[in-house]
Amino acid sequence: MSKTSRTLVTMPATAKKNEIIDIRIIVQHDMETGFRHSEQGVRIARDIIRELVCTYNGVEVFRADLHPSIAANPMITFSTVAIESGTLEFMWKGDNDYASSTTSKITVT
Amino acid sequence: MSTSRRKFIVMTGAASLVPWLSVQATESEAAQAIKQIVGSSKIRTGRVELEIPPLVENGNSVVMKVSVESPMTENDFVRAIHVVAEGNPLPNVASFQLSHRAGRAVVTTRIRLNDSQRVWAIAQMSDGSFWQGYAATLVTLAACTEV
Repeated sequence: MSKTSRTLVTMPATAKKNEIIDIRIIVQHDMETGFRHSEQGVRIARDIIRELVCTYNGVEVFRADLHPSIAANPMITFSTVAIESGTLEFMWKGDNDYASSTTSKITVT
Repeated sequence: MSTSRRKFIVMTGAASLVPWLSVQATESEAAQAIKQIVGSSKIRTGRVELEIPPLVENGNSVVMKVSVESPMTENDFVRAIHVVAEGNPLPNVASFQLSHRAGRAVVTTRIRLNDSQRVWAIAQMSDGSFWQGYAATLVTLAACTEV
C-alpha cells in the first residue's frame, strides 16, 4: 500500500476564455532531506516528493522535479491559460511509494 | 635527511589545504550541476529574475519567486526553469517544465537554504537558448542545523 497525504489546491472556479489563471498547490509532506541525524546519531533516510505533474483535460501543462532543498509541505504557485471548461488533475509521486492526486474543476466562459 | 624534512613540510602544507578545498567543493558542484543542465550550450545572463529575501531568518522555509521574460506564445516560450543553490549539500533545488500554455513564466515555491549563498535560476527557451539570473541571500539560521 502506498503512502498518501492531504493536498490543497487554490484556483478560480470560473474564468474567461484565454485568461491566465494562478494555481497554488500545497501538499502535506515532511520532505525529509536525508542529511539529518536522529538523537542516537543515526542518519534519517531521505523521504521526499520527487515529482509533481499537472494535466488540463488530460494534457500535461506543468511538471516539477523536486529535490531535498524544497521546504516541508511543498507549495508551488504557477499559472495556466484557461482554454476550455474541464478538469485539472494534480499528481504527486515520491520516495517509499508515495502517491497522491487531486482534481479541480474549472468553468470557462 | 634535509630532503625528507622538506617533503614533510610540503605534505603538511598540502594536508592543511584539504579541508579548505572541501568547503569550496559545493560551489564547483553547483557549476557542475549547471553544466549538466545546459550541456555544451552557452548560457547568457539576463531575462531571468529570481526573488529571495536578502536577509533570511530561518533557512528551513524561504519563499522563492522566479520569473522569466518571455512572450509565452506557441513559437516562443520558456520550456524549463532550473534552480541551483551553491551552498546546499545538493546543489539542485527544483526543475520546472513549462509550455506555452502556462501564459506567463512565473513560479513560486518555498525552499531550504543551508548557508548564506547565491541561488541561480537557469531558463531554457523553446529555441534551445539558456538564460540565467541569480539572487544573493544572507541566512542567519541554516536549514540543516535543526535536529
